[in-house]
Amino acid sequence: MKQEVDPKLLEILVCPLTHVPLRYDAEAQELISDQAKLAFPVRDGIPIMLVDEARELEGREVKK
Amino acid sequence: MPPATQPSAIPEIFDRTQVKNSRNHAAHTLDQYRFLIDRAAHDIADRLTDINRTFPRALQIGARTTYPQETLLCQNGSIEELIKMDLADGLSPDIVADEELLPFTDNSFDLVISLMTLHSVNDVPGALTHIHRVLKPDGLFLAVLPGGDTLHELRHVMMEAELALKGGVSPRIAPFADKKQMGGLLQRTGFALPVVDSDTITVTYEHVFKLLQDLRGMGESNIVASTNKKYIGKAVITETARRYQEQFAEPDGRIPATVEMIFLTGWTPHESQQQPMRPGSAEHSLTEALQKKPASNT
Repeated sequence: MKQEVDPKLLEILVCPLTHVPLRYDAEAQELISDQAKLAFPVRDGIPIMLVDEARELEGREVKK
Repeated sequence: MPPATQPSAIPEIFDRTQVKNSRNHAAHTLDQYRFLIDRAAHDIADRLTDINRTFPRALQIGARTTYPQETLLCQNGSIEELIKMDLADGLSPDIVADEELLPFTDNSFDLVISLMTLHSVNDVPGALTHIHRVLKPDGLFLAVLPGGDTLHELRHVMMEAELALKGGVSPRIAPFADKKQMGGLLQRTGFALPVVDSDTITVTYEHVFKLLQDLRGMGESNIVASTNKKYIGKAVITETARRYQEQFAEPDGRIPATVEMIFLTGWTPHESQQQPMRPGSAEHSLTEALQKKPASNT
């Protein structure tokens, strides 16, 4: 079973590079920064906010 | 993998990936080795108890101890919600992040504690600026980190040994922060009422191998970026042990290792804090007061 990110933590989380709020994709377990075009993984409910572990978004994944 | 976005002007002294790997590697057996980190956490807890205040939301940077949660949250109740952050996911923090790039919105926390992490950060002013940013006004920042004198014995004999056997040295022990510099940095990054103090602890060991085992065990193996990545070699270690014994051994044959813990305290500015008076706002002239002759008796 997937563990959800603590909602209280989600409230204050922003992209480490652009400082804009993130989009939480609960299905893919990713926190998405559209501006930085990065998807940060969530493992066992723990957000991994490291740029070198993030997945680069493809063009169509980015929401304007 | 996206390219690293480190600002280029900052020299990379520490290999942050190696910092993460060292801590992850140490995570499983940390219980046996984390006495220094627990001690640091204990001292931070003491300082927090002295500050009579409740902190609704706190961030703990550095998750190598379980001490603060147990005592501060459960016993004192001065922290209502604690978020544990670390670079290493193996330490089961609430969030994995780098203090050089804090992923929190401005004014998120009432308290930020850095627990034995700032010594392995490349951009210390940057990290302090980030911490300042995520703190609310009148928020408290407390940090403990190993400082300048730490492991000076080991640094000295290891350099001598490597020089003697290999004709050159490679940095094996990280450069540690200077107490005075840290005070200046706190002020420069906008912290009010900055206080820096330190405490020197001497740990004694049977021999250098036990000391090295402890350092690895607590996740502090070599993280200097420019280090020759090849193993230092058994001969150099043996020579280090011999010189350490010869130069520093105590009467009982044990060798001392110095650890200087530096403590930082700073507040994000707020109007309720004590302020210096505005220049020119004095109501009495100092010159007059000094020139005033003592009243005569007649």
